[in-house]
Amino acid sequence: MTFIPGLGIVKGMGLTLRRFFEPKATIKYPEVKPDIPHKFRGRLQLLYDEYGALKCETCFQCAQACPIECIDMGGIDTKGRFHVHWGAPETYGERREESALRRSGRTVPDPAYAHFEGIDPDPVDGILEDYDFDPKQMLQILEATQAAYGHLPVAALKRISHATGAWYAMIYGTASYYSHLRFERPEDGIQAAAVADHRPTEATFLSSLDTALAGGRRAGAGQATGPKPN
Amino acid sequence: MTAMTRTWGRLTLAGKVIFTVLPILAVLTVGLIVVIVLFGGGILDFLATNLWLVRFVVAATAVLLMSVPTAFLIIYMEMKVIALMNLRIGPDRVGPFGSLLSVVHGLKVLMKEDFSPTGVDRIVFTLAPIVVFMSTVMALLVIPFAPGLFGQDFNIGLLYFFAIGGMTVVGLLMAGWSSFNKYSLLGGLRSAAQVISYEIPLTLSVVGLLLLAGTMSLNQISLNQAGWFSDWYVFKQPLGALIFFIAATAEANRTPFDLTEADSEIVAGFATEYSGMRFGFFFFAEYVNVFVISALIVTLFFGGWNAPFPWPWPVALNLDPGSLGIGLLILVAIVPVIGTLILAAPFWLASSRVKGWQALVMGFILFNLVVVTAIFGIAYVGLDWVAGLLWFLGKTYVFVFTFVWMRGTLPRVRIDQLMGFAWKWLLPASLLNLFVTAAAIAIVNPR
Repeated sequence: MTFIPGLGIVKGMGLTLRRFFEPKATIKYPEVKPDIPHKFRGRLQLLYDEYGALKCETCFQCAQACPIECIDMGGIDTKGRFHVHWGAPETYGERREESALRRSGRTVPDPAYAHFEGIDPDPVDGILEDYDFDPKQMLQILEATQAAYGHLPVAALKRISHATGAWYAMIYGTASYYSHLRFERPEDGIQAAAVADHRPTEATFLSSLDTALAGGRRAGAGQATGPKPN
Repeated sequence: MTAMTRTWGRLTLAGKVIFTVLPILAVLTVGLIVVIVLFGGGILDFLATNLWLVRFVVAATAVLLMSVPTAFLIIYMEMKVIALMNLRIGPDRVGPFGSLLSVVHGLKVLMKEDFSPTGVDRIVFTLAPIVVFMSTVMALLVIPFAPGLFGQDFNIGLLYFFAIGGMTVVGLLMAGWSSFNKYSLLGGLRSAAQVISYEIPLTLSVVGLLLLAGTMSLNQISLNQAGWFSDWYVFKQPLGALIFFIAATAEANRTPFDLTEADSEIVAGFATEYSGMRFGFFFFAEYVNVFVISALIVTLFFGGWNAPFPWPWPVALNLDPGSLGIGLLILVAIVPVIGTLILAAPFWLASSRVKGWQALVMGFILFNLVVVTAIFGIAYVGLDWVAGLLWFLGKTYVFVFTFVWMRGTLPRVRIDQLMGFAWKWLLPASLLNLFVTAAAIAIVNPR
């Protein structure tokens, strides 16, 4: 390429003239919002307090809440004893299994719901409909549920909470306050009583304990001695 | 302390000024009316016999009044065009598309403190911006905007232009010298060196054109270029036009030769010590200068107010609206209504979803467009000065845009490159242009 004087100037002028007609990069922020993807949550950043220490307490709430599992963190627990971590399933064992399930398209079991067994929801649904989903009639609902299932399964309580709108903690409080409501199967209590019959020494000890406490033991202890009338 | 002095003391500064100026204005107005009533006939006779005086006053006033909006427009163009070239939006808050931002800049400059540092030569320091501004504005007097629309048709118009334009150097030197600041002095001397160096190729590059035109009157030069665009002097003097353009860029202190007072530098050259409206005058002069230089390029090389092609249908419009009598009034009252309704009808009929008022609004807008187009068309065809003015301003703003475009593109040169370019390239090139033109004339037209 031979040198032509002024060619650079012509090229530059052509460039600016093309820029003149191109769409502009400016975003007038308060009036026009930039087009941000729905799940965008901004920049991930750990904050420091005024002494220069990390404010992060390694609670993993951010990592748990992250919808796309992009948060990967590790650290020492608040007592300074154990190494804790959360992050990519390839590196951390806690999430390896569920991540594999998720990637394979299968349902991921939620450990928070894995502790109670499933129930047939039809009886509790009928009861809730009878009582018009009214949380003010909670005691009657709970009694009817216990009549239907023989005890109060956690799944039923959760369903009642969901349907009536009452907090699960309030329903649990109501159910645990009344001694005629129980969370275990009555069969468990019968078995316990049968065991107790074969252990007279223990029964003696428990009755003496009752007299010593003078008020009698609470419902849980009562169930251990024998089934209550349903 | 009397009540009068107490009241006076409570007035704000603006109130004091108004209280002083209002009675003076009242006395002057009454005096003017009395003078007109008493000696009105005599004054009119005097002016009729001395029309040059009226012409001079009107031209000077018009040129002064024109310079300020021109500067505002070019400042706005500079901000907006460079922003668009940088992929920014630029001013868009004040007025439509931010077009009033330069006016706001002007008001800001007016409101700033007008500060004179210790040790400055007050008189020269104050006069310098005026000299710069006036030398720029006075150059506008000889520029022919349209047939018959010029301040003064000197037979030495071009010489006057260069002489008045050269006064800018005096103003710059005054500003640098009187500032009591060695950096201002250096800046002033540097810009004087630049402007004087580029005056020489600037003047020499048009000598070839003068040989061709045979006159120095800018009006006559414009008339010489009538007809098709191939008659423009740029096709007879391409090298001269190029040299003139480059030298004019340096003369107007525009990028890439804007190192006398570069906006992006920290120290503002000769204007370092200036603030407020005194700086504003330098600023205005710079932008009026852009217009003046573009207008001169158009006048000399691009046909002035001539259209690039002769108007093929010469029309003589014999419109006499007065002959309609009372019919004119009725016409003025009825035509807008009928026009709006007729132009609204297609929108109304086009779709049943268009509401009546929407069709009426569209019709009204269309009617206004039609009327404005018709008025401009009639004026263009019927009045040659309107056509000339439109062509002249159009061409001039093409060159103004080019200057702004160059500012958006080119980097600034160093002072040694600047001077070397003027003396080693432009001066020999302009001399070559002059000799070649003279030889060509001698061959074609031997005496």
